[in-house]
Amino acid sequence: MKAALLAGLLAGLLAGALEGCASQVLSIRTVPDQTPAADNAAAAANAAAFAEAVAAESAAVSAPEPQEAPPLVTPADAPPMYTYDPWERLNRFTYRFNARFDEAIFLPVADTYRRAPRPIRAGIHNFFDNLAEIDSVINYTLQWRLKFGWRSLTRLAINSTIGIGGLFDVATKLKLPGTPTGFATTLAKWGMHPGPYLVIPLLGPSTLRDGVGFLADYGAEYGINVAGMYRGSVSWGLGTANAIDQRANINFRYYAGGSPFEYETIRFLYVRRRLIEDEGLHSKEPVKKAPVDIPAGK
Amino acid sequence: MRAGLRLIPFAFGLSAAAFAVEPEAPQSAPNAGIAIGLADSAGLRATVFGTPPQDMASLPAKVPLSEINAELPWRLPVPRILWFDSKLRVWFSAQAKPAPLAIVISGTGGDGNTKTISVLRAALYGAGYHVLTMPSPTSPEFIVSASSTGVAGDLMRDGKDLYAAMQEIIAHLPRKIRITDIDLVGYSLGGANAAIVKSIDAAEHKLKIHRVVMINPPVSLFSSVGRLDRLFAATIGAGDQGVELLYRRLYAQIANLYRASDRLELDENFLLSAGAASLRTDADFSAAIALTFRLQLVDMFFIGDLYAKTGLFTDPKHPPKVSDSLENIQRELRAKPFADYFTQVFAPYYLKRRPDATSASLIASNRLDIITDALRDDGDYYAQATDNDVIINKRELTWLQDTLGARIIVYDHGGHLGEVGDRQQVADMLDMLSGSWPRSAP
Repeated sequence: MKAALLAGLLAGLLAGALEGCASQVLSIRTVPDQTPAADNAAAAANAAAFAEAVAAESAAVSAPEPQEAPPLVTPADAPPMYTYDPWERLNRFTYRFNARFDEAIFLPVADTYRRAPRPIRAGIHNFFDNLAEIDSVINYTLQWRLKFGWRSLTRLAINSTIGIGGLFDVATKLKLPGTPTGFATTLAKWGMHPGPYLVIPLLGPSTLRDGVGFLADYGAEYGINVAGMYRGSVSWGLGTANAIDQRANINFRYYAGGSPFEYETIRFLYVRRRLIEDEGLHSKEPVKKAPVDIPAGK
Repeated sequence: MRAGLRLIPFAFGLSAAAFAVEPEAPQSAPNAGIAIGLADSAGLRATVFGTPPQDMASLPAKVPLSEINAELPWRLPVPRILWFDSKLRVWFSAQAKPAPLAIVISGTGGDGNTKTISVLRAALYGAGYHVLTMPSPTSPEFIVSASSTGVAGDLMRDGKDLYAAMQEIIAHLPRKIRITDIDLVGYSLGGANAAIVKSIDAAEHKLKIHRVVMINPPVSLFSSVGRLDRLFAATIGAGDQGVELLYRRLYAQIANLYRASDRLELDENFLLSAGAASLRTDADFSAAIALTFRLQLVDMFFIGDLYAKTGLFTDPKHPPKVSDSLENIQRELRAKPFADYFTQVFAPYYLKRRPDATSASLIASNRLDIITDALRDDGDYYAQATDNDVIINKRELTWLQDTLGARIIVYDHGGHLGEVGDRQQVADMLDMLSGSWPRSAP
């Protein structure tokens, strides 16, 4: 029995290997259709909206009212270009693992999923977004930003009822757009620095603070366990669907440009983005002077 | 994941800004006077922002797309830290019926699916072509997966590798794809690559390439890159300090816009629009152009050093491992102009292998005029240029016009590639490819 199994396995492996060789020179994979006309129409619409919004924002920055003007960030306040990454060796291995996993499994599955009709995908996406709203309510409360907490709570109520269990995002149509938050942002609001850069297996770029935030969000959702998403007979299926939905909505390909320095580039951009978001959280307070010569994030 | 991967497209939005040029002249003395005035203001702006959406040609609603990863038999051993570049990734859009094939070649450092490529693909597919899009021979993935040298930038050598890769891919396409004719389109350096590939094919007849359209091609690779190096020196400054200053300024501007915006998340759209809003002057545009090109050069320089075992940044006896930090190497490379790549990696490599060559002859062989006769006498070469292109000067533009005669059109707008996709450019490109150019001809 065992021998037969082993032989079968070997034959399978051999066939696989041979196919690998014979798969000749090319491996061809169909990816989702491009939609140039729609993309361009969207770009045109965005360009107009951006021009307006940015002009308004520039005006706010360049002509601050003397009383309530938020203090300005000066170039000297920018964190250094170096990023704090004491776990770099491990992080680099994790990054490679993530890239390989993404290429072999995550992305092909997400691409297949993208072929499902748009309304179905939108429904699934809305459903998971709606569940995440619970965590946003909790965290906006912890951050003491009750206006947004109230908005999230209202969204949750509207979408869970009129939106049929979250399948339709009715709230956004009622001018209540979603603004998800999490415990990582709560920690930032409480004044915690991003800390060391951290590449989380499967999830990707993060920092110690954001990683802790992620765990806390997960813990909270696990504890509440709405829709049996985290515990129970359907949790695996729902969890997988959630992961695929998220991946399908992220327009990123590991090593798309093939640069040898992608790890550095992503780390740089990720941490800078988080630091700017932190600046936004503390926009009413004086700008913190970044200590010179200490890598960003420390 | 939400926090992590979401922002990432931004990284590529910037690097895919789709520039494309190529290697340049070490001995051409920097002329500070012309450095800033390389192109007019409109040209610089168009180069950075591209064709405005409202000026775009009408593009099809849907373009099918397949990703093809090719393992090429002549690939050199892959350095361990470049494991992700071992296959050549090209993209194919197939028509359902027999159709001509248009092969599009990316500009300097560009992969086979840049923004510029997407626009050209859509236009060509909409006009009834099968479309195959390929990375530049100077892109990391091409150098690793398809180069026979690992040292990119030699027009003829790169052209031969590119030609071989095209043959391999076309030969292995599924049988149901029926190709009636083959044309090439290349933008920026890819334009020069395309012309060279056609000239090689004219001798070898393996693909029977019909027509070629070069969009904003360089004339002398090395002098084009020299212009970009001078642009870098003039707007960012020598060394990495200039890059750091630019970064600090951008960081502060984006942070202030964000703080004033009441937004709760710094998303890609905001970053791009804030970045765009922060670029205001000619100096800003020039810096953005120069930096984009420099970042492509950094990759090519690093990989060239690794393959040629020059030992500039990596110890040939102990090549870097996956876990090794490359940040200091990247910083060091950012400060280096193309002239350094030429003198330290490119020239030593090729001089060793070509006993008769000199530095001067290497530079001379990287000019489009090595195929002057073909360009002048063969009616199947076409070009689209602009009179405010950052990468070529008046003399080079005149040479193109003299050589190609009626087969070149020079637009009065667009800078470098800022005209790609607009109605006129697309209509002209399609006429050139179908042989109905010039339209007003008797």
